[in-house]
Amino acid sequence: MNSRLLMTLQVVVEGAQKIGAVPYGTRVTAPISGGRFEGPRLRGRVVPGGGDWTLLRTDGVLELDLRLTLETDDGALIHMSSFGLRHGPADVIAALGRGERVDPSAYYFRTTPRFETAHPKYGFLNRLLAVSSGDRRAEGPIYTIDELL
Amino acid sequence: MDPGRRDLLKLAALTTLVGCAHVPPQPSQASPPDRKTTVLFQPLLTLRLTTAATQDIGAVPYGRRVTFPIIGGSFEGARLRGEVLSGGDDWTVKRSDGVLELDARLTLRTEDGVLIHTTFDGIRDDAAPGAPYFRTRFRFETADPKYAFLNRLLAVGTGEIRADGPVHVVEEIL
Repeated sequence: MNSRLLMTLQVVVEGAQKIGAVPYGTRVTAPISGGRFEGPRLRGRVVPGGGDWTLLRTDGVLELDLRLTLETDDGALIHMSSFGLRHGPADVIAALGRGERVDPSAYYFRTTPRFETAHPKYGFLNRLLAVSSGDRRAEGPIYTIDELL
Repeated sequence: MDPGRRDLLKLAALTTLVGCAHVPPQPSQASPPDRKTTVLFQPLLTLRLTTAATQDIGAVPYGRRVTFPIIGGSFEGARLRGEVLSGGDDWTVKRSDGVLELDARLTLRTEDGVLIHTTFDGIRDDAAPGAPYFRTRFRFETADPKYAFLNRLLAVGTGEIRADGPVHVVEEIL
């Protein structure tokens, strides 16, 4: 599979809502208060109000279910949704939990974003699939998003 | 992660990087932002589906809905192979912009008898440059420890419609 860089996306997460033990695992919702994205064909800000609805499964894998709105620097709104998985060695996951900086190659943090927009300039986003590699930081994740060619 | 698997990942990463070198540079990549991380792929399996007569639901609020019953098939990769059970479906909708959305569920049975619940979605864009652009996202669920690695990965596929049915070449996102 060939891919190429679509954008890097930095998301600011604030005020995690610990829903707790639900029938599927442990659920924590992470509200998104902002962020930035930049790529060769689009750049702009993350509109406050999205979130990442996470579920820690019984097998230790964290499922990510992200929804947010991007606003390009020329005013187009783009709906983004992304399912992902995060897991790794226990000590690495514990370090992430303490908010420590960890080399992202030490754990698996991958997502598969989709985009929807009504703006013709960015209509190409409606017609592609993407994958991302995440780097979990204390203030929020940084995603390197590639479009599948 | 055990050392053997780590080596395998490294090898696959190198192979993928070498493969990427053949992609012609795009003009739009003149000043790409810094890459924090890199996305790499490794072959997982090739899935061949046999479908029955389509169910043409018709014009629904989202577009034209056509359901493809999956009645069999096969899959093969370095770590798993077997058959596709009858009973799955691909629920497709052709959107107003001409893109076909796929939404499939099926069950795989490995040659050693393990059932693997499989879902995929994706798009087929027959109007794309170098069309069709036919890409999918796969997920798997299994209860068998031997195949539990499938529970922990995301995968993407390239689809193709052949005379004897759809074929998806599926790669694990490393």
